Amino acid sequence: MRNTDEYPISTTEEREAVVATAGAAPEEDWVIVTRGLKREYDMGGEVVRALRGVDLAIRRNEYVAIMGPSGSGKSTLMNLIGCLDTPNDGEYWLNGQLVSAMSDDQLARVRNKEIGFVFQTFNLLPRATALHNVELPLVYAGVPGEERRRRAEEALERVQLGARMLHKPNELSGGQRQRVAIARALVNRPSILLADEPTGNLDSTTSEEIMKVFEELADQGQTVIMVTHEPDIAAHARRVIVLRDGVIASDDKRSAFTQKVGL
Amino acid sequence: MTMRHTDVVASALEQIRANKLRSFFTLLGIIVSVTFLVAVVAIIQGMNAYVRENLASAVIGSNAFQVRRFPIQVGLIDDEIFRRYARRPKITPSDARAVRAAIPDAQAVSLQSGWPTPTSDVVWREREQDDIPVFGVTADYQVVQDYKFSGGRPLSDLDVREKRPVAIVGADVADKLFEGVDPVGKDMRIGGSLFTVVGVVAKKGRVLGQSFDAFVMIPITQFEMMYGRRSTNTISVKMREAKDVAGAMQRAEEAMRIAHRLRPSQENDFSVETADALIAFWEQLTKVLFSVIPAVVAIGVVVGGIVIMNIMLMAVTERTREIGIRKAVGATARDIQKQFLAESIALAAMGGMIGVAVGWLFAMGIAAISPLPARVTLWSILLAVGLGAGVGVLFGVYPASRAAKLDPITALRAE
Repeated sequence: MRNTDEYPISTTEEREAVVATAGAAPEEDWVIVTRGLKREYDMGGEVVRALRGVDLAIRRNEYVAIMGPSGSGKSTLMNLIGCLDTPNDGEYWLNGQLVSAMSDDQLARVRNKEIGFVFQTFNLLPRATALHNVELPLVYAGVPGEERRRRAEEALERVQLGARMLHKPNELSGGQRQRVAIARALVNRPSILLADEPTGNLDSTTSEEIMKVFEELADQGQTVIMVTHEPDIAAHARRVIVLRDGVIASDDKRSAFTQKVGL
Repeated sequence: MTMRHTDVVASALEQIRANKLRSFFTLLGIIVSVTFLVAVVAIIQGMNAYVRENLASAVIGSNAFQVRRFPIQVGLIDDEIFRRYARRPKITPSDARAVRAAIPDAQAVSLQSGWPTPTSDVVWREREQDDIPVFGVTADYQVVQDYKFSGGRPLSDLDVREKRPVAIVGADVADKLFEGVDPVGKDMRIGGSLFTVVGVVAKKGRVLGQSFDAFVMIPITQFEMMYGRRSTNTISVKMREAKDVAGAMQRAEEAMRIAHRLRPSQENDFSVETADALIAFWEQLTKVLFSVIPAVVAIGVVVGGIVIMNIMLMAVTERTREIGIRKAVGATARDIQKQFLAESIALAAMGGMIGVAVGWLFAMGIAAISPLPARVTLWSILLAVGLGAGVGVLFGVYPASRAAKLDPITALRAE
């Protein structure tokens, strides 16, 4: 594992400065800025406050892990960052757009353009080939067939699956499936790659393999946000945010994080 | 930035293809209804066309009309009117002469025995044909019917006036009774009486399975000696040109009123009709059928539509996770709705098309093995496919909007 301190990571002061001015559009460099993000659920009359005001700033090309025990609100935060859900209160700026005020249709467009999802359970269409799975975001972007195919092939080459493009998910190993999912996430050149427990269904060797892919993507300039509850997976990121009870409990460089958890 | 239409259609067809068997059973209701629609309409239309083009002129003759005791629509009238018809006098030879005198420009004016036509055994040497219809006609009837003779000569006015025991025979009788022998000049027995065959009528063919070639025709004077005067004798008038028919009908009507001594206040005690009356009568019959078909088809199609809706709802449940994935990668609610709607429309339209094909084959099959003709009409095909697509829209909207409304987070968590 390389020393993280050679990577450009936003400093605490910089983040605090960005988060401080409510309502102001952040500078272009900041891919994600949330200010006082809150999300509550009504569970049969009882209000569950999943997020109690999250201030988060992520700069372009950062590789961030979001950690926390179950119930800490990390899934809720990931749904909000992924534009699958909207907050009850607070601002969310994604790539210069105020996402927290958007309609469902606008959110769908943002998901299509700005976000590449990688899920724990891969979430590939079982009956479609790897190529077709990767094409899917481009289908909804209205990209014509020829170009779609070319770009999907490129994305699959990028994750070293050029030879297995016409295989269906059940003909691929877990690691290969996850790489198809990564190719799908990357195909529309999103602002952020958002991974939810990407190694949760993989053995440790394959997990390392997938982490290497993430590492390379981050090296190539891709912003990566990874939600996980495993400290040794989180330790692959260059910045680790720990959530507890709906608020950010710590936000460290990798070196500081590994020291803390004793890795 | 939305989904392209070609992709919407492609994904719908892909889904149908992936579930071939289920899709087929889903469509069964639509297929059966549409098959029924297309086949029945084809057969009825075929019969209509046949009546119009073949039967009407075969029965009444072209450019011709009839003066009858009973109108052609006799089958669809109530008892009261029937009794009134029954009081009408018979049509007599003197009526025929009056009509003849009133229409000097007629090509032919004939008197012939009417329905029901008696049948008789016809015997030549040791051979016998049973139940051959026997017609009594005047010579002009052969002109009205455009008979061509493949041998011998037609019946003549002299034959009729002299009550000669002579006959002409249809092609079937000639072929079967006189197999391999020229019938002209041979003596045969019709119901025991001896007749000399003077002519053979060329083959006319079959209409609705009814041969028009199995008959013997004798002078009406001879006929009335054997069977008595029929209560249904009919006068046929043939004009040279179609445009003369209407005027001639009027003159025939006047002549008949004078002959029957009707006062101006009295209504006709006879009917003057063209082949149109026969066609109209027939179409009145089929109209009843045409009013029943839509009801039957509508029931089938509604049931078929409900099946499609059920299957689509099931598909939404089954594919919840897939919908979640699609939404996560950027499908809008509209995209999802379009995809599911396209699927149900494609399903239903496909059912319509299969139904058209099967109905077509069915109609052709029936036409091939039975005397019923079939004519597949464009409007029934368009109606069937349109109906299918309409059902797809109507019963696809609800499942599609259910799919569109799914929350992506919940959908992604679905098993």
